[in-house]
Amino acid sequence: MIQFDFSTIAFFVFAVLTLGGALGVVTNRNLFRGTIWLMVSLFGVAGLYVLLSAPFLAAVQVLVYIGAIAILFTFAVMLTRSLTRLNVRYTRLWPSALGAVLLFAMLVIGVIWPVFGGNELYNQPISDVVRTTTDLGVALVSGEGYVLPFEVASILLTGAMIGAIVIARDADEEEMEQ
Amino acid sequence: MFESPTLQTLTDYNIWIALPAIALAFGTMFLLVIDVFLPANRKHWTPILALVGIGISFLINLFTYNPEQTSTFGGMFVADAFTGFLNIVVLITAFISVLLSTDYLRRTETNHGEYYILLLLSATGAMFMVGANDLIVIFIGLELLSIPLYILSAFRVTYTDDRDATFVLKSEESGMKYFILGAFSSAFLVYGSALLFGATGTTNLREIFAAVGPILESSAENSGALLLLIGAALSLVGLGFKIAAVPFHMWTPDVYEGAPTPITAYMSVAAKVGGFAALFRLMIVGLSGLTLDAGVDPAAWQGTIQVIAAVTLILGNFVALSQTNIKRMLAYSSIAHAGYILMAVAAVGSAGLVPDIANTAAQAGLVYLLAYAFTNLGAFAVVLALENNDGTGTELSDFNGLYNSRPMLALAMALFMFSLTGIPLTAGFMGKWLVFSAAVQAGLIPLTIIGVLTSVISAFYYVRVIVNMFLLTEDEGSPAVGETAPVRYAVYASMAGVLIVGIAVPLVTNLVNMVSLV
Amino acid sequence: MDFVVPTEFFFVLSLVLFVLGALGVLLRKNAILVFMSVELMLNSANLALVAFARQWNSLNGHIFVFFVMTVAAAEVAVGLALIVAIFKSKRSINIDDLHQMEG
Repeated sequence: MIQFDFSTIAFFVFAVLTLGGALGVVTNRNLFRGTIWLMVSLFGVAGLYVLLSAPFLAAVQVLVYIGAIAILFTFAVMLTRSLTRLNVRYTRLWPSALGAVLLFAMLVIGVIWPVFGGNELYNQPISDVVRTTTDLGVALVSGEGYVLPFEVASILLTGAMIGAIVIARDADEEEMEQ
Repeated sequence: MFESPTLQTLTDYNIWIALPAIALAFGTMFLLVIDVFLPANRKHWTPILALVGIGISFLINLFTYNPEQTSTFGGMFVADAFTGFLNIVVLITAFISVLLSTDYLRRTETNHGEYYILLLLSATGAMFMVGANDLIVIFIGLELLSIPLYILSAFRVTYTDDRDATFVLKSEESGMKYFILGAFSSAFLVYGSALLFGATGTTNLREIFAAVGPILESSAENSGALLLLIGAALSLVGLGFKIAAVPFHMWTPDVYEGAPTPITAYMSVAAKVGGFAALFRLMIVGLSGLTLDAGVDPAAWQGTIQVIAAVTLILGNFVALSQTNIKRMLAYSSIAHAGYILMAVAAVGSAGLVPDIANTAAQAGLVYLLAYAFTNLGAFAVVLALENNDGTGTELSDFNGLYNSRPMLALAMALFMFSLTGIPLTAGFMGKWLVFSAAVQAGLIPLTIIGVLTSVISAFYYVRVIVNMFLLTEDEGSPAVGETAPVRYAVYASMAGVLIVGIAVPLVTNLVNMVSLV
Repeated sequence: MDFVVPTEFFFVLSLVLFVLGALGVLLRKNAILVFMSVELMLNSANLALVAFARQWNSLNGHIFVFFVMTVAAAEVAVGLALIVAIFKSKRSINIDDLHQMEG
């Protein structure tokens, strides 16, 4: 069923990057290394997007997730610098593990089984249409498309920006202005 | 679909039906600019302008209140009586919260214009959410509702020098806990939406409904149905956090206690309105046909929601009994009220068996939300009037002998407690009556019995507040530093709302009878 | 026709990633790591969305991912501001140290 051609090999390489990075985030002792592991995982996901014919999203993933979000995490780690060595890694070890196992069992039964269990939906051939930036761009601003969530998202970003500034600024800075 | 766009103007797209939400968003952005240019001695104009913006949106909503369902933006946003009614609830909530905030911010030295901007942004998110007919809009509306609330919960930390004060630490913690659990729950909502999308190939709720039938028929072992069920379950987890249903409620008491009281009042209503609006739409419009045996079984998710509702009712009411802090008690009471509204959601599950139950249940849920909004806002307004600047004065014992020192506040609080219990002639009774009768119609007798019994139990802790106020005495009365004119107006408005919904029943039922989601 | 990696592969991968992320949220004590785990969960949802979008030949999944990324960016800005504020007052961002309120 599986042919070991280029795309399959690429899939497994990126899958290992994604899951390895995720494991690194969940298990590491050093907060700074945690952010590096996160970048590895995010990079793996970006590679998978390329395999899934979504080059634009792959680019956004690299720019926004790795270039902005992971860097912000790095800043936060540096601002809270006493925490790069974590003595206590875990909290509530057994209840959490149990919860995760239950979640996993539910998802396996509910999702993997139907997907592999000969669901007719997934026996259709997969389209090889590459969604270009143009497709997404038109859809985002078309009145029949996604202009409403697009505008709401811009309001949301404005709100988040105001909020982050309000929370992070110190009292003395305001006094200096006055 | 998008390959050859033809140039059209926005008016071709019917956008006026989303006008109440758009007007509020526009007003908020306008206020953001105005606030910067207001000189320091004119800052008291910001809340007044915020009230004007809410009022304009309210008027637009009344004029565009149309029971005919119309949709815009490619079916992503719908305006019908459901949207219009919940818009009213959200706007009333925002209005009363702004009234409560003005003097509170001044006396707690957190009077910054950004507060009102964030509050209005959150209300805008709730309004987009109640009209959302697409998983994407539900998600983004929910985030616009929630992200400003994370900041507002922690608002007492803003520009403070006093980082060791208990109330600053509590507020910070409240924002942090809300944020972590809110982000966690959004991840569940997104994954659930992804599964629904994976099963049906669309994010539009109406198209999901149309796709559910063929999936149930085509897959021999109902494997597609399982994918839908797990998707619905994960979405339910995500929304369950927002509405504070057990077992996703653990953030509620801490967040409610630590947040500034006007924000507690606001989020105890607005977050629930947004969450329940999405839940009703998702379950009625999207997934009401998800039954394993059409015409014989109720919707497959009904059992789960019944269990969640029952657990929420029992835990919320019993834990509230042992609380000594009024904000924590009202937090558990708000968990319990989520349980009553969940009964209406559960009743929707019988849509395929009992004719018209989906609309009856949705109408009951809406009336309950309106009643809950007025009552809870009023109760928190009284709490705020008695609260000191450092966050103390919210213990139950601080209400001792309130009738002697502040008879008006005591009478108002008594009315709100009666309404929360569900005593006749108050709004709470109307809500409970409609929800219970919808549940009985849907054949959920055990759940209804649990609902009635827990209502009786809830009377114990609500009446305890009344006993404290009227029968016990204290040496010196509460200073009630917060009882200023705007707070008094908020209390009067809430009292009027509770009595109008409770007594002038036809007024509300006429509005709500237009609601039809099927 | 060239062999394409089937949707199930991506889907199972996203599932494992989701559970790993959830495990991280439940397990870790440090607020920054908890928040990173939430990002992993969001990424797993994005992966599933893109995989399904290819399966259904639909643009919705791609758009959804676009918005999830936007929201994630907004959440990160707010969340990290909160974390830094907490660190300033408590010199700790251990979530078990958040116990001002009991009950």
